[in-house]
Amino acid sequence: MSVVAMLFFIVVLLFALLAAAALLTWVERRLLAWWQDRYGPNRAGPFGILQAFADVIKILLKEDWIPPLADKPVFVIAPAIVAVTMLLGFAIVPLAPGLVIADLNVALLFFFAMTGLSVYSVTFAGWASNNNYSLLGSLRTAAQMISYEVFMLLSLVGVVILAGSFRLTDIVDAQRGMWFFVPQFVGLVVFFLAAIAETHRLPFDLPEAEHELVAGYHTEYSGMKFGLFFLGEYLGMMLSSAMIVTLFFGGWLGPPFLPPIVWFLLKTAFFVCLYLLLRAALPRPRYDQLMGYAWKFLLPVALLNIVVTGAIVVATRSPAEVGS
Amino acid sequence: MPEIESFTVNFGPQHPAAHGVLRLVLEMEGEVIHKADPHVGLLHRATEKLAETKPYNQSIGYMDRLDYVSMMCNEHGYVLAIEKLLGIKPPIRAQYIRVMFDEITRILNHLMWLGAHAMDIGAMTVFLYCFREREDLMDVYEAVSGTRMHATYYRPGGVYRDLPDKMPQYEPSPYRSAKELEELNEARSGSVLDFIEHFADRFPARIDEYETLLTDNRIWKQRTVNIGVVSPERAMQLGFSGPMLRGSGVVWDLRKHQPYEVYDQLDFDIPVGKNGDCYDRYLVRVEELRQSTRIIKQCVEWLKKNPGPVMIDDRKIAPPRRIEMKDDMESLIHHFKLFTEGYSVPEGEVYAAVEAPKGEFGVYLISDGANKPYRVKVRAPGFPHLAAMNEMVKGHMLADVVAVIGTQDIVFGEIDR
Amino acid sequence: MYPVKTFLMTELLAGLRLTLKHFFTRKATVLYPEEKTPKSPRFRGLHALRRYPNGQERCIACKLCEAVCPAQAITIESGVGPDGTRRTTRYDIDLFKCIYCGFCEEACPVDAIVETRIHEFHMERRGENIMTKDKLLAVGDKYEAMIAADKAADAPYR
Repeated sequence: MSVVAMLFFIVVLLFALLAAAALLTWVERRLLAWWQDRYGPNRAGPFGILQAFADVIKILLKEDWIPPLADKPVFVIAPAIVAVTMLLGFAIVPLAPGLVIADLNVALLFFFAMTGLSVYSVTFAGWASNNNYSLLGSLRTAAQMISYEVFMLLSLVGVVILAGSFRLTDIVDAQRGMWFFVPQFVGLVVFFLAAIAETHRLPFDLPEAEHELVAGYHTEYSGMKFGLFFLGEYLGMMLSSAMIVTLFFGGWLGPPFLPPIVWFLLKTAFFVCLYLLLRAALPRPRYDQLMGYAWKFLLPVALLNIVVTGAIVVATRSPAEVGS
Repeated sequence: MPEIESFTVNFGPQHPAAHGVLRLVLEMEGEVIHKADPHVGLLHRATEKLAETKPYNQSIGYMDRLDYVSMMCNEHGYVLAIEKLLGIKPPIRAQYIRVMFDEITRILNHLMWLGAHAMDIGAMTVFLYCFREREDLMDVYEAVSGTRMHATYYRPGGVYRDLPDKMPQYEPSPYRSAKELEELNEARSGSVLDFIEHFADRFPARIDEYETLLTDNRIWKQRTVNIGVVSPERAMQLGFSGPMLRGSGVVWDLRKHQPYEVYDQLDFDIPVGKNGDCYDRYLVRVEELRQSTRIIKQCVEWLKKNPGPVMIDDRKIAPPRRIEMKDDMESLIHHFKLFTEGYSVPEGEVYAAVEAPKGEFGVYLISDGANKPYRVKVRAPGFPHLAAMNEMVKGHMLADVVAVIGTQDIVFGEIDR
Repeated sequence: MYPVKTFLMTELLAGLRLTLKHFFTRKATVLYPEEKTPKSPRFRGLHALRRYPNGQERCIACKLCEAVCPAQAITIESGVGPDGTRRTTRYDIDLFKCIYCGFCEEACPVDAIVETRIHEFHMERRGENIMTKDKLLAVGDKYEAMIAADKAADAPYR
């Protein structure tokens, strides 16, 4: 793609993502409400869609206050980090054949680098808030995120073995025969759970649950800084869904009666709705149960998955293919 | 080696999970709690003192507002105490109506409890499903007394008015098609009793829905099994009652062991738990929902077949009917006396308790022969439960405090009175 | 069976399926203000002072309602009315004190003070919570048809 076309694509993608994240607030409220036997916002505009705009305007106009003794630069930068890293993560996602901003040959590792950086956002927020309870909340959140990150990558090693490369376009191409969720079902489940914990959604949303903690890492935030945290969360949700689709469900592959990008969007939308369904239906485990689950169950399962996948691939593929 | 001090956290009065105004001062070491100190009194409204200054009937409204999620059971306790001192018994139809409304109140309370408890633990959808059923029951309250909560329906001597023959129906609206309106009004096409029967038929399926979402759910079990364990002996020593006591394995229910009204003629079981943890108490309360539905069905059946008076005839205690009052001089005088001065209750003291949804709600009434009580003492079921908070929560983590507050079914109206 | 159930998270999936099923059920929401929840004739809402069909006000200042009010929200002063009969010169109900229990309605021997089924009222300025006699009579006059129908429906039970 020419430089101009690439720049245009980047700008379009950026705006589309931000608009999608804002609209996702409306989708979440509507869907959650329909599952709970009530309507969501349906008064502002057709189907209540203007509610999303109302929320954006509200959060922009709220008083943006910094606690007096807080560490100002760190306090301001913290929410920006999560939004920026999640947006950067979208640079490697292949939306359609040839339609990807950066076709890196270590694209998968880049994704993990970005999710790793987003942990800083939480830590900085808690530290800079100058509030005991925020600090504790943020440390707990950070511990949760890095614990789940450990096996997030490990669960994908199986996919990498099957596809033979870290490049996302290669992984999508390798799924032309069979989508990877069939042989890598265990990897899918582990990755999905890890992704939920990374974006701290229910059932792993202890950082946000005021019922459990006395405060959370974003207690002292208001106005657009708070909005950026939530933007980061929704972007993270969309990024995780996009990655699940790319890695396990064939990316943009699909029957030819719809263009590939539409398939990609439909599949991503399905997984985003699955995130919302989990939020509606499930209770929340306790913090130590959550961490125990990660270290004692999911990590061994992810390692087992690697061993079994490797063994089967070595056993079934011809010696010429193995090691390519 | 410097001594490690505990970290004091104020689980403050304004908190989404504090179920009212609970100030819980927690001394924690890391995440584990060493001591929990509830500070109560933020909702104290001087109910008992106010009751000393008002004639007996005017305090019935106060009793409603004590445990404000189980209204008619509170009224029932107070009214039973007055009736014991007066030495009267309401007519049989009034007793059946009272039992039916007690059980409806039990369902109301347990639905509220289930919704709030599930929401504290994270399952927010159960909250809304429970409240959908509460809407129907509040419509019953409204059809019979005029308000959706705080009914002031029970009076010493019976209940104020008989059940109406018509149930209010949904009006047509631009958003409802005719077919939808007909389906909505199908349950309301008969009398209140028909509506209650329809509800009792539908309700077990809804309880199954709540159970599908929670009972077998491994996350729910992780949060509630072995949390807040109370042994049966300790439960009795602490003064527990109701589902807290039955969840620990003690078979004690005032409806079976000290029956009042017509409970001895009704057929129902009382669920009893085994381990005394939050999960058992949850199961006990869900099963109580089913048993209450059973009782309601029996009451509805009886009430449909047996019309009759719902208030005693003693004109010194119960006001006459309005038609009589407008014609007859004696009735007019009784009406005036009763609504200005009220009736006088013979000297004595009495304790009457009912099996409220939270436990044993008792009223200790001391009368000195006047038309106002000398002392009304309310034994709220939640008070000993909250007092045991320290013991139940020691050694657990912060997230378990939320689960324990939920399982104790704390409502501040009755604790602070 | 247990390991399979545990790993496949069957009971969690059953919960998810139930929640999904509720997507297609009828919603319980009543779309206020176009739709209202059903109210019975016994509904205890805003108070009103009624008149007889010939226009004379019913209230005879017997003060039974003032005596029975648990919240002492009613204040009455009586005197001789313009037609020489006993009438109130002052009849105030403090809507903030009132607990809407309906005892005043029960006590009134002439069905003067009633609780209508109006629950949508608000106060805009300080002092508007005191319903004076003329405001109560105005409510009664405006909604007499509705009040009469409600009280007639409820009369057989009282």
